Amino acid sequence: MSLFLKSLKELPPFGQALGMVLEEADTGPGVAVLLPGAEHLSGDAEDAVFHTSVILATIDNTAGWCIRDHPDYAEGTSMATLDLRVDFVTPARLSETLRVRAVCEGFDGDIAFVRATAQTLKTKVLIATGQATFMLGTPDMPNLATPANALGGPVD
Amino acid sequence: MIKLAQAGRSAPSVALAQQQLNKMPYAAFLGVSLRVGPDGLETLTPDRADLIGNTNLPALHGGVVGSLLDITGMLTLVFLKALDRSPRLVDMDIDYLRSGQALPTHGRAEIVRAGRRMANVRARLWQDDPERPIAIGRLQFLFPKS
Repeated sequence: MSLFLKSLKELPPFGQALGMVLEEADTGPGVAVLLPGAEHLSGDAEDAVFHTSVILATIDNTAGWCIRDHPDYAEGTSMATLDLRVDFVTPARLSETLRVRAVCEGFDGDIAFVRATAQTLKTKVLIATGQATFMLGTPDMPNLATPANALGGPVD
Repeated sequence: MIKLAQAGRSAPSVALAQQQLNKMPYAAFLGVSLRVGPDGLETLTPDRADLIGNTNLPALHGGVVGSLLDITGMLTLVFLKALDRSPRLVDMDIDYLRSGQALPTHGRAEIVRAGRRMANVRARLWQDDPERPIAIGRLQFLFPKS
Protein backbone atom coordinates (compact mmCIF):
# COMPACT_ATOMS: atom_id res chain seq x y z
CA MET A 1 0.00 0.00 0.00
CA SER A 2 1.28 3.45 -0.90
CA LEU A 3 2.20 6.06 1.70
CA PHE A 4 -0.47 8.25 0.20
CA LEU A 5 -3.22 5.78 0.95
CA LYS A 6 -1.90 5.13 4.44
CA SER A 7 -2.11 8.86 5.09
CA LEU A 8 -5.66 8.92 3.85
CA LYS A 9 -7.54 9.65 7.04
CA GLU A 10 -10.57 11.10 5.36
CA LEU A 11 -13.05 8.50 4.19
CA PRO A 12 -15.79 9.53 1.79
CA PRO A 13 -18.86 10.50 3.87
CA PHE A 14 -20.77 7.44 2.70
CA GLY A 15 -17.88 5.09 3.55
CA GLN A 16 -17.79 6.64 7.00
CA ALA A 17 -21.54 6.27 7.39
CA LEU A 18 -21.34 2.56 6.56
CA GLY A 19 -18.37 2.03 8.90
CA MET A 20 -15.63 1.12 6.39
CA VAL A 21 -12.05 0.92 7.64
CA LEU A 22 -8.92 0.73 5.49
CA GLU A 23 -6.88 -2.32 6.50
CA GLU A 24 -3.46 -0.75 7.00
CA ALA A 25 -1.74 -4.06 7.73
CA ASP A 26 -2.46 -5.33 4.21
CA THR A 27 0.74 -5.48 2.21
CA GLY A 28 -0.76 -5.48 -1.27
CA PRO A 29 -0.75 -5.53 -4.17
CA GLY A 30 -4.08 -3.76 -4.08
CA VAL A 31 -5.91 -2.62 -0.98
CA ALA A 32 -8.23 -4.17 1.59
CA VAL A 33 -11.18 -2.64 3.40
CA LEU A 34 -12.97 -3.99 6.45
CA LEU A 35 -16.63 -3.48 7.20
CA PRO A 36 -17.86 -4.78 10.56
CA GLY A 37 -21.47 -5.98 10.61
CA ALA A 38 -23.96 -3.50 12.06
CA GLU A 39 -27.73 -3.25 12.38
CA HIS A 40 -28.12 -0.49 9.74
CA LEU A 41 -26.36 -2.69 7.13
CA SER A 42 -28.97 -5.42 7.42
CA GLY A 43 -30.90 -6.54 4.37
CA ASP A 44 -33.68 -8.20 6.29
CA ALA A 45 -34.63 -7.48 9.89
CA GLU A 46 -35.30 -11.22 10.44
CA ASP A 47 -32.29 -12.78 8.69
CA ALA A 48 -29.42 -10.65 10.09
CA VAL A 49 -27.34 -10.74 6.90
CA PHE A 50 -25.53 -7.93 5.08
CA HIS A 51 -27.70 -6.28 2.43
CA THR A 52 -26.34 -7.14 -1.05
CA SER A 53 -26.09 -3.38 -1.70
CA VAL A 54 -23.73 -2.96 1.24
CA ILE A 55 -21.38 -5.56 -0.23
CA LEU A 56 -21.62 -3.80 -3.59
CA ALA A 57 -20.93 -0.37 -2.05
CA THR A 58 -17.85 -1.69 -0.25
CA ILE A 59 -16.55 -3.28 -3.46
CA ASP A 60 -17.14 0.00 -5.34
CA ASN A 61 -15.26 1.98 -2.70
CA THR A 62 -12.36 -0.46 -2.40
CA ALA A 63 -12.00 -0.64 -6.20
CA GLY A 64 -11.71 3.16 -6.34
CA TRP A 65 -9.09 3.18 -3.61
CA CYS A 66 -7.02 0.55 -5.31
CA ILE A 67 -6.78 2.85 -8.35
CA ARG A 68 -5.62 5.71 -6.14
CA ASP A 69 -3.07 3.33 -4.67
CA HIS A 70 -1.64 2.46 -8.11
CA PRO A 71 1.95 3.71 -8.58
CA ASP A 72 1.03 5.49 -11.84
CA TYR A 73 -1.99 7.28 -10.45
CA ALA A 74 -1.50 11.00 -9.84
CA GLU A 75 -3.41 12.11 -6.78
CA GLY A 76 -5.96 14.72 -7.73
CA THR A 77 -6.82 13.10 -11.06
CA SER A 78 -10.55 12.71 -11.38
CA MET A 79 -11.83 9.18 -11.64
CA ALA A 80 -15.20 7.94 -12.86
CA THR A 81 -16.57 4.42 -12.50
CA LEU A 82 -17.79 3.28 -15.92
CA ASP A 83 -19.27 -0.02 -14.85
CA LEU A 84 -19.33 -2.51 -12.03
CA ARG A 85 -20.41 -6.14 -12.03
CA VAL A 86 -20.93 -8.09 -8.82
CA ASP A 87 -21.71 -11.79 -8.29
CA PHE A 88 -23.26 -12.42 -4.88
CA VAL A 89 -21.91 -15.89 -4.07
CA THR A 90 -23.03 -16.42 -0.45
CA PRO A 91 -25.00 -14.28 2.03
CA ALA A 92 -22.81 -12.85 4.84
CA ARG A 93 -23.93 -12.90 8.49
CA LEU A 94 -23.93 -9.57 10.32
CA SER A 95 -22.00 -11.19 13.18
CA GLU A 96 -19.03 -11.26 10.78
CA THR A 97 -16.76 -8.54 9.43
CA LEU A 98 -16.65 -8.21 5.67
CA ARG A 99 -13.20 -7.98 4.10
CA VAL A 100 -12.97 -6.68 0.54
CA ARG A 101 -9.72 -6.80 -1.43
CA ALA A 102 -9.36 -5.04 -4.75
CA VAL A 103 -6.47 -5.34 -7.18
CA CYS A 104 -5.87 -3.17 -10.23
CA GLU A 105 -5.17 -5.48 -13.15
CA GLY A 106 -4.67 -2.92 -15.88
CA PHE A 107 -3.81 0.78 -15.89
CA ASP A 108 -2.87 2.88 -18.90
CA GLY A 109 -3.56 6.45 -17.81
CA ASP A 110 -7.00 6.58 -19.46
CA ILE A 111 -8.64 3.38 -18.25
CA ALA A 112 -8.12 1.13 -15.25
CA PHE A 113 -9.50 -2.37 -14.65
CA VAL A 114 -10.10 -3.76 -11.17
CA ARG A 115 -11.04 -7.14 -9.73
CA ALA A 116 -12.30 -7.51 -6.19
CA THR A 117 -13.36 -10.25 -3.80
CA ALA A 118 -15.37 -10.03 -0.60
CA GLN A 119 -14.82 -12.60 2.14
CA THR A 120 -15.80 -12.98 5.76
CA LEU A 121 -12.81 -11.93 7.88
CA LYS A 122 -12.84 -14.81 10.39
CA THR A 123 -14.21 -17.77 8.43
CA LYS A 124 -12.83 -16.67 5.03
CA VAL A 125 -15.99 -17.64 3.17
CA LEU A 126 -16.25 -16.16 -0.33
CA ILE A 127 -19.16 -13.72 -0.25
CA ALA A 128 -18.94 -11.89 -3.57
CA THR A 129 -16.69 -11.15 -6.51
CA GLY A 130 -16.64 -7.89 -8.44
CA GLN A 131 -15.17 -6.40 -11.56
CA ALA A 132 -15.04 -2.65 -12.28
CA THR A 133 -13.76 -0.35 -15.01
CA PHE A 134 -12.74 3.26 -14.40
CA MET A 135 -12.00 6.25 -16.59
CA LEU A 136 -9.16 8.46 -15.39
CA GLY A 137 -9.12 12.21 -15.82
CA THR A 138 -11.39 14.33 -18.02
CA PRO A 139 -10.70 15.86 -21.45
CA ASP A 140 -9.84 19.15 -19.70
CA MET A 141 -7.91 17.56 -16.87
CA PRO A 142 -6.12 14.37 -17.93
CA ASN A 143 -4.10 12.20 -15.58
CA LEU A 144 -1.60 14.64 -14.04
CA ALA A 145 1.32 12.27 -13.73
CA THR A 146 4.12 13.21 -16.13
CA PRO A 147 7.84 12.56 -15.93
CA ALA A 148 8.28 16.19 -14.81
CA ASN A 149 5.57 15.94 -12.24
CA ALA A 150 5.78 12.35 -11.11
CA LEU A 151 3.85 12.91 -7.92
CA GLY A 152 1.09 14.61 -9.81
CA GLY A 153 0.71 17.46 -7.34
CA PRO A 154 -0.85 20.76 -8.32
CA VAL A 155 0.62 21.91 -11.64
CA ASP A 156 1.05 25.58 -10.74
CA MET B 1 -54.15 -20.84 -22.38
CA ILE B 2 -53.08 -17.24 -22.24
CA LYS B 3 -56.22 -16.28 -20.37
CA LEU B 4 -55.66 -19.03 -17.83
CA ALA B 5 -52.09 -17.94 -17.27
CA GLN B 6 -53.14 -14.36 -16.77
CA ALA B 7 -55.89 -15.35 -14.37
CA GLY B 8 -53.29 -17.14 -12.27
CA ARG B 9 -51.22 -14.00 -11.97
CA SER B 10 -51.55 -11.99 -8.79
CA ALA B 11 -52.30 -8.28 -8.95
CA PRO B 12 -49.52 -5.84 -8.10
CA SER B 13 -49.34 -5.14 -4.39
CA VAL B 14 -48.18 -1.80 -3.00
CA ALA B 15 -48.75 -3.11 0.50
CA LEU B 16 -46.28 -5.98 0.04
CA ALA B 17 -43.66 -3.67 -1.51
CA GLN B 18 -44.04 -1.21 1.39
CA GLN B 19 -43.89 -4.08 3.89
CA GLN B 20 -40.68 -5.37 2.29
CA LEU B 21 -39.18 -1.86 2.36
CA ASN B 22 -40.12 -1.46 6.03
CA LYS B 23 -38.27 -4.60 7.07
CA MET B 24 -35.04 -3.59 5.33
CA PRO B 25 -32.90 -1.65 7.86
CA TYR B 26 -30.34 -0.67 5.18
CA ALA B 27 -33.04 0.95 3.03
CA ALA B 28 -34.22 2.92 6.07
CA PHE B 29 -30.64 4.04 6.66
CA LEU B 30 -30.45 5.30 3.04
CA GLY B 31 -33.83 7.02 3.48
CA VAL B 32 -35.46 5.16 0.57
CA SER B 33 -39.17 5.81 0.06
CA LEU B 34 -41.54 4.48 -2.57
CA ARG B 35 -44.67 5.64 -4.32
CA VAL B 36 -46.85 4.02 -6.92
CA GLY B 37 -48.34 6.09 -9.73
CA PRO B 38 -49.97 5.32 -13.06
CA ASP B 39 -46.54 4.35 -14.45
CA GLY B 40 -45.79 1.89 -11.68
CA LEU B 41 -43.47 1.89 -8.70
CA GLU B 42 -40.91 4.64 -8.17
CA THR B 43 -38.27 4.86 -5.45
CA LEU B 44 -36.61 7.97 -4.07
CA THR B 45 -33.56 8.76 -1.96
CA PRO B 46 -33.15 12.19 -0.35
CA ASP B 47 -30.31 14.65 -0.93
CA ARG B 48 -28.25 13.91 2.18
CA ALA B 49 -24.66 14.79 3.05
CA ASP B 50 -23.73 11.26 4.16
CA LEU B 51 -24.62 9.73 0.76
CA ILE B 52 -21.79 11.62 -0.92
CA GLY B 53 -18.68 9.81 -2.18
CA ASN B 54 -16.68 12.72 -3.56
CA THR B 55 -16.93 15.90 -1.51
CA ASN B 56 -15.06 18.05 -4.08
CA LEU B 57 -17.62 17.71 -6.90
CA PRO B 58 -19.80 16.80 -4.88
CA ALA B 59 -21.02 13.48 -6.27
CA LEU B 60 -23.17 10.65 -4.97
CA HIS B 61 -21.18 7.61 -3.83
CA GLY B 62 -21.19 4.86 -6.48
CA GLY B 63 -22.32 2.52 -3.74
CA VAL B 64 -25.44 4.60 -3.19
CA VAL B 65 -26.21 4.49 -6.91
CA GLY B 66 -25.76 0.69 -6.94
CA SER B 67 -27.82 0.34 -3.77
CA LEU B 68 -30.79 2.24 -5.18
CA LEU B 69 -30.67 0.16 -8.39
CA ASP B 70 -30.69 -3.03 -6.29
CA ILE B 71 -33.49 -1.88 -3.96
CA THR B 72 -35.59 -0.51 -6.87
CA GLY B 73 -35.27 -3.76 -8.80
CA MET B 74 -36.15 -5.83 -5.77
CA LEU B 75 -39.16 -3.73 -4.72
CA THR B 76 -40.49 -3.64 -8.30
CA LEU B 77 -40.35 -7.43 -8.40
CA VAL B 78 -42.10 -7.72 -5.03
CA PHE B 79 -44.70 -5.18 -6.19
CA LEU B 80 -45.47 -6.67 -9.62
CA LYS B 81 -45.32 -10.32 -8.54
CA ALA B 82 -46.94 -9.71 -5.13
CA LEU B 83 -44.18 -11.61 -3.31
CA ASP B 84 -44.50 -11.95 0.46
CA ARG B 85 -40.78 -12.61 0.86
CA SER B 86 -37.79 -10.94 -0.70
CA PRO B 87 -36.18 -12.44 -3.82
CA ARG B 88 -32.42 -13.04 -3.65
CA LEU B 89 -30.15 -10.92 -5.82
CA VAL B 90 -27.78 -13.30 -7.62
CA ASP B 91 -25.74 -10.84 -9.65
CA MET B 92 -25.92 -7.36 -11.04
CA ASP B 93 -24.21 -5.26 -13.65
CA ILE B 94 -24.21 -1.47 -13.35
CA ASP B 95 -23.42 1.08 -16.06
CA TYR B 96 -22.66 4.49 -14.61
CA LEU B 97 -23.77 7.03 -17.23
CA ARG B 98 -23.40 10.36 -15.47
CA SER B 99 -21.99 11.56 -12.20
CA GLY B 100 -24.74 11.63 -9.55
CA GLN B 101 -25.18 15.13 -8.15
CA ALA B 102 -26.05 15.99 -4.55
CA LEU B 103 -29.76 15.80 -5.39
CA PRO B 104 -32.72 13.53 -4.66
CA THR B 105 -32.49 10.41 -6.84
CA HIS B 106 -35.41 8.55 -8.44
CA GLY B 107 -35.48 4.89 -9.43
CA ARG B 108 -37.68 2.78 -11.63
CA ALA B 109 -37.41 -0.83 -12.86
CA GLU B 110 -39.05 -3.25 -15.24
CA ILE B 111 -39.13 -7.01 -15.42
CA VAL B 112 -37.55 -8.13 -18.69
CA ARG B 113 -38.50 -11.73 -18.09
CA ALA B 114 -39.79 -13.65 -15.10
CA GLY B 115 -39.71 -17.43 -15.17
CA ARG B 116 -40.56 -19.88 -12.44
CA ARG B 117 -37.29 -19.52 -10.54
CA MET B 118 -35.53 -16.43 -11.89
CA ALA B 119 -36.37 -12.90 -12.93
CA ASN B 120 -34.29 -10.64 -15.16
CA VAL B 121 -34.82 -7.02 -14.18
CA ARG B 122 -33.64 -3.70 -15.58
CA ALA B 123 -33.46 -0.66 -13.33
CA ARG B 124 -32.62 2.97 -14.02
CA LEU B 125 -31.96 6.03 -11.89
CA TRP B 126 -32.32 9.72 -12.65
CA GLN B 127 -32.23 13.01 -10.79
CA ASP B 128 -33.69 16.22 -12.22
CA ASP B 129 -34.49 14.87 -15.71
CA PRO B 130 -36.05 11.43 -16.32
CA GLU B 131 -34.61 11.53 -19.86
CA ARG B 132 -31.06 11.76 -18.49
CA PRO B 133 -30.47 8.60 -16.45
CA ILE B 134 -27.40 8.62 -14.18
CA ALA B 135 -27.15 4.81 -14.11
CA ILE B 136 -28.78 1.66 -15.43
CA GLY B 137 -28.54 -1.83 -14.00
CA ARG B 138 -29.23 -5.39 -15.07
CA LEU B 139 -30.18 -7.61 -12.16
CA GLN B 140 -30.84 -11.35 -11.84
CA PHE B 141 -33.09 -12.39 -8.97
CA LEU B 142 -33.88 -15.85 -7.63
CA PHE B 143 -37.45 -16.12 -6.33
CA PRO B 144 -37.89 -17.28 -2.73
CA LYS B 145 -38.80 -20.97 -2.41
CA SER B 146 -42.50 -21.33 -1.73
